[in-house]
Amino acid sequence: MVSLRIEGLRKSFPGVVALEDVSLEVKESDYVVILGPTGAGKTTLLRTIAGLTKQDSGNIYFDGHPVDRLASFDRGVAYLPQNYSLFGHMTVWDNVAFGPTVQDWEMRRRDQIVREMLNLVHLSDRRDAFPRELSGGMQQRVALARALATRARILLLDEPLRALDARLRMELRQELRTLAKDLGITTLHVTHDQEEAISIADQIIVLRRGKVVQVGSPQEVYDTHQDPFVANFVGEANFFEGVLEHSGPRNSVVTLPIRKQVVGRPTDMAQGANVVLGVKTDRCDVKPGHFEAENCFPGVVLRSLFLGKRVTVEVETKVGFLKAKVPSDRAQFASEGVEVTLRFPPDHAIVYPVPVGGLQAALEVE
Amino acid sequence: MPKIRTEGVSKRFGRIVALENVDLEVREGEYVAILGPSGCGKTTLIKIIAGIWRPTEGRVLVDGRDTTRTPIEERDLGYVFQNIMLFPHMSVKDNARYGPWVRGFRPEEVEKASREALELVGLLQRQGFLPAELSGGAQQKASLARALANRANLLLLDEPLSALDARVRVELRYTLRRLVKDLGLTAVHVTHDQEEAMSVADRVVVMRKGRIVEVGEPRRLYERPRQLFTANFVGQNNFLEGRVTGVRDGVAAVELRGGLSLILNSDSLKPGEPVVLAIRPEHFALEPGPGTNILTGQVEETRFMGSFTRHRLTLENGEEILVDLPPEESRLKQGEQAKVFFNREKMLVYSRPPEGLREALKLE
Repeated sequence: MVSLRIEGLRKSFPGVVALEDVSLEVKESDYVVILGPTGAGKTTLLRTIAGLTKQDSGNIYFDGHPVDRLASFDRGVAYLPQNYSLFGHMTVWDNVAFGPTVQDWEMRRRDQIVREMLNLVHLSDRRDAFPRELSGGMQQRVALARALATRARILLLDEPLRALDARLRMELRQELRTLAKDLGITTLHVTHDQEEAISIADQIIVLRRGKVVQVGSPQEVYDTHQDPFVANFVGEANFFEGVLEHSGPRNSVVTLPIRKQVVGRPTDMAQGANVVLGVKTDRCDVKPGHFEAENCFPGVVLRSLFLGKRVTVEVETKVGFLKAKVPSDRAQFASEGVEVTLRFPPDHAIVYPVPVGGLQAALEVE
Repeated sequence: MPKIRTEGVSKRFGRIVALENVDLEVREGEYVAILGPSGCGKTTLIKIIAGIWRPTEGRVLVDGRDTTRTPIEERDLGYVFQNIMLFPHMSVKDNARYGPWVRGFRPEEVEKASREALELVGLLQRQGFLPAELSGGAQQKASLARALANRANLLLLDEPLSALDARVRVELRYTLRRLVKDLGLTAVHVTHDQEEAMSVADRVVVMRKGRIVEVGEPRRLYERPRQLFTANFVGQNNFLEGRVTGVRDGVAAVELRGGLSLILNSDSLKPGEPVVLAIRPEHFALEPGPGTNILTGQVEETRFMGSFTRHRLTLENGEEILVDLPPEESRLKQGEQAKVFFNREKMLVYSRPPEGLREALKLE
């Protein structure tokens, strides 16, 4: 299996820059998720790695060797596009055997790999079925087995679960990771779904408007968001705009326009700077009644949205509209119109410079 | 009088039964979500309510009138499709004007209705745009404005968010619920996404294989699902099969495979009865509490999942369970033996299904 390195990749289409100076590294056998909204350049990036799109500039290396001059076929990649289609007139077996057959493998070796792949995706007993006789999840597995049957060194998955039901996606995403790990294959998986990314990735690469905005483990991306966009895209966040009052080794203090102060993690920005403080909604809590203390915001519940395990409580406060996503058995009191106080611990609040172009533009998810 | 009532609605396409004997009531001003996996019949049902399709048997009453044979153009409702179906050559504003115009509103009424609808979805500033110039989320808002401009008080939403990015979907859920409630509409919303269903709806109808499995308020469905299928489809769950070994004073002892034993509250169980126990991953703790049961297992994997940390444990009997803990409380390490506790009141008990557990839970 291979490691992957990309340096200064750039690709534009008439009128659009799809990728702008993208550099990244993927370790051998890692499961990496490329996460971003529609139009971020995710698919272009995958297609360029697969050799199906030619970059304007920049280089791609597999195990340190440049592959830019290699045709897609010679790169040893298995690419599963978003709108894959199975061969409808061929059985499951023949679909999976397609790659090895075209590549003229010896029959015994071909049959063995097809058997292995079908085993891997739990479809051995459906080898003679036609795609239309299978459920959506099974078709997805056949497509995956077909992509893998060519003995690729790197697996590229473009929104592999998009067409499936939400509940089924939760099962299949674990299967995907397990499969890739069992094979030890280096994998890049593109998605717009942050929950999917967090639940299966070793590393997440957050892409927005053709640029890499953050790279890190799920926990790093989730807890140490580098800018307001990441804070709000990977989960959901509350933001406070104000002026940096003080910053010390243990915390920083921001004064809001209503002269209230909020406390967050330390920052190296200068006192007096215009800043934004961001905190994830699920690091916020609500308690019944009104009280004033550090990072407490009294208000009234506008609405509670029940999500099952959690409830999103929307609170109207003096600084505006804030949300807290809390375990549902701890928020039964929070019905519409109830007085509550929203609060959060300072060590989950991060202070950023005010984004160029303003906070609202920086948060846009489309 | 309910706003919508379906009576014994069935639909067959050749030999395939898409809906079988569906009785459903939607009250005036209620937001109802129809939730189920692909192929469960939810889309067929909403299309029959809309008058796009006719049922093979049964009838549909809207405001007490039988509308089974009323074509969609003559029905007083707004419909939003999964695949955004705006007129691509018309501006957002002209799209919103279309419904009122077709319905023969006077010109000044057409203007007023379309303007109000665009204002409600926050698209007044972009009313001159063509659909292709908008993002997916904004296009779906324009579709919603077009449906609202009819001033119908019944809104039918057929997978309205499925084509959008996950993050955009979350935003639009808020918008949908707020609009429906502010305008006092009756809404039926079809989705395969359980979180979406629970967050928008007053009541959720769970469907499977052409039939209604269960109907209930979101919290009830999540906390006290009556059917095993619901317990698995609406949120994740751990299922353990066992047999009742004894019952006394409303407390039953259940033996799991491999001789493990758990205690649960029940008045109705009989010794010897085969059962399935369900316990949600988030109901485990590392400390004992009141009414506690203990399970012991080896930690196979721990994984940060954002608002919680997920642990996969193999129990002494070889079965696997998922245990979710707040990240700050999670101190289990991969490879170690761990004890996890849960309150027996949180555990649900079902009779073992005749078709077997796997079949009862199957998602497709």
